[in-house]
Amino acid sequence: MAPIRTLALTAVVALSALGLSACSGDDDGSDSGGTVTMQFWHNATTGPGKAFWDKTVADFQAANPKVKIKIQQVQNEDLDGKLQTALNSGSAPDIFLQRGGGKMAAMVEAGQLKDVTNDISAETKQAVGDAALQTGQVDGKTYAVPVAILPGGFWYSKDLFREAGVTTPPATLDDLNQAVTKLKAKGKPIALGGKDAWPAAHWYYFFALRACSKATLDAAAKDKTFTDPCWTKAGEDLKAFAATKPFTEGFLTTSAQQGAGSSAGLVANHKASMELMGAWDPGVIASLTKDTKPLPDLGYFPFPAVPGGQGDPAAIMGGADGYSCSAQAPKECADFLNYILTKNVQEAYYKAFNAIPVSKQAQGAVTEDYLKAVLDAYNKAPYVSQWLDTVYGQNVGNALNVGVVNLLAGKGDVAGIIQAVNDAAKKG
Amino acid sequence: MSSNVGGKSTTVTEDASGKRVRSGGGAQTSPPPRARRRGIGWAQRLEIAVLSGPALLMFVGFVIFPVLMAAYYGFYRWKGYGVPTNFVGLDNYRTILQDSSFHQALWHNGQIAVLSLVLQGPIAICLALLLNRKVRGQSLIRVLIFVPYVIAEVIVGTAWALMLQANGAVNDVLRSAGLDGLAQDWLANRSLAIWTLMFILTWKYVGFAVILFLAGMQNIPEELSEAAAVDGASYWQTQWRITLPLLGPTIRIWAFLSIIGALQLFDLVYIIWGQYVASTAGTSTMATYMVVEGRNAANYGYGNAVAVVIFFISLIIALVYQRFVLRRDTEGALTGGR
Repeated sequence: MAPIRTLALTAVVALSALGLSACSGDDDGSDSGGTVTMQFWHNATTGPGKAFWDKTVADFQAANPKVKIKIQQVQNEDLDGKLQTALNSGSAPDIFLQRGGGKMAAMVEAGQLKDVTNDISAETKQAVGDAALQTGQVDGKTYAVPVAILPGGFWYSKDLFREAGVTTPPATLDDLNQAVTKLKAKGKPIALGGKDAWPAAHWYYFFALRACSKATLDAAAKDKTFTDPCWTKAGEDLKAFAATKPFTEGFLTTSAQQGAGSSAGLVANHKASMELMGAWDPGVIASLTKDTKPLPDLGYFPFPAVPGGQGDPAAIMGGADGYSCSAQAPKECADFLNYILTKNVQEAYYKAFNAIPVSKQAQGAVTEDYLKAVLDAYNKAPYVSQWLDTVYGQNVGNALNVGVVNLLAGKGDVAGIIQAVNDAAKKG
Repeated sequence: MSSNVGGKSTTVTEDASGKRVRSGGGAQTSPPPRARRRGIGWAQRLEIAVLSGPALLMFVGFVIFPVLMAAYYGFYRWKGYGVPTNFVGLDNYRTILQDSSFHQALWHNGQIAVLSLVLQGPIAICLALLLNRKVRGQSLIRVLIFVPYVIAEVIVGTAWALMLQANGAVNDVLRSAGLDGLAQDWLANRSLAIWTLMFILTWKYVGFAVILFLAGMQNIPEELSEAAAVDGASYWQTQWRITLPLLGPTIRIWAFLSIIGALQLFDLVYIIWGQYVASTAGTSTMATYMVVEGRNAANYGYGNAVAVVIFFISLIIALVYQRFVLRRDTEGALTGGR
């Protein structure tokens, strides 16, 4: 019958079309005519960040005529989901932004990342240093290279501090409490994006950094038990600090980085005097000022010393954004990773993103006071801990976030944080 | 429905033993349904396949398949990358049933379902009654009531979240009106948050109920209220004795949609309260629990198990409602409007 035959024919055509597209969709860089094509995903969709990657890729292609890199910008909040789908469906980009921690470990476990341990050049290793390289390692193998170091600390308005009569950045918890009292009298408390939870949890992490020894932090990363009394001390410290009501009104339903009403926006518009945040904050604050220029009076000071803890008072916490190659990526991917860590590219990265470049050779280019202050604190630190939610994985990190929010909301207690972590272990 | 194939309506009679039997009226004169069905030609079958095929494919691909996949993933511990390998059987389900956060979320869903019925029902009926008469500015009122329902949830959520923040517009208005005492933390205050949510839900969904009820009222024959008027019934007596009872089927269908909506509520809560504050403020739902525990904590296997639990809770409530509440409405429909 005619309709049946037509149908069958259509099916054949459709199937062969699928087959053809499967062939042409082959982007894993297999040599076709001597050239290699790679997909590259990053999250800088606008402005100098986008321009930086466009130029970097163009320069790399000029130096490597056989390599063609297709850039795709993915909006920051969409990136993780899209990437996960792409990795699971076998159509992963060859080079992509890597946030590290538990997510990276899960990718490694699923065999989705390329081991680039032996592809990282000696120059790269020297420029980056072991401590920073470790942020991209799982079980001693390198799966990502960091491009910027993003330590946490207080980002504050120098003008508001001066107006309130706070002359030097607080170095101890007492200093901080006194400063907050003076700033609150001027109606400029600390901004906190509690709606996103992780900014609230940072407060607990920093108190834990001061309360717990490095050995305790490392041990917890391995066995994920939080029985050491220092975890409780960190909670009690935070509880006592929160009891002085240092945060902006309604901080629990304030988001961190979106719009003028967010915590970064409050700092950008001088509605709040400071916030505790990672070193990506200057860029976020700059995008939220009225003229979208960097805040002229922005300053930085590290988390103050807290009495009575096991942690080093100068220890610092922070993460590092990096880039990974997917398991199927061609070997040229590692060349690109080496390339983005060269001095010139790193200096351009700093200028584009207003963030401290990971390459020590490029760090000399940093001119802003606040970034110099960050570098100073970073170089003085006896050790650098990664963000605890990154170290302990998303599962435990999420539970810590929940516990801290409950504590700040006055719903839970310190034991509740520990309990939340134990409950989380059952779900993961 | 199948008994209507012969083109005649079905009647229900009682046989000698009192058992109900259905028979196609006029079966003797028209060919039996079976024969007709066998008579469907290839062309017709192809037509059916072509016309219903795409819809069926979409339904299987985007509804049935995901449900089955969720059931499958629910048996694993899975971080979301690669193929799940760590089979844990019913462990995830055991954890869900023991988790106090889930109990709270379920309790909030229940509260929202009941409060939706209690708040939206009477308001919508009053508005529908009002709009069912000739009122000045009727179309304007209609638009004002219905517009919130049309606006996307994301926009509604973002707008209310901004207005209701501690430093938001609502408190600013209250303060500038000298009502400083009334300014509240509308979102984070535990005793207030659920009512804030109910206010927004009512504002958003009452328009939908009004439209349904208006349609229901328009189906009530005019003669009934005219007859009542002749008998000297007042306006309120007419509404109470005639309109409301005859609106019953519409109300029951609306209540069903409202309950199912309340069980699956996600977007407004997630947008306004965010991932974590919902549970401390007392507005978390099963769906926000699913996303926080599944996606944010990267326990995808666990999250899928939660999805399955939500599916079964919704299914059971839907079946029970059909069986005990909607039964007389559907029976009436099948027996030709008794």
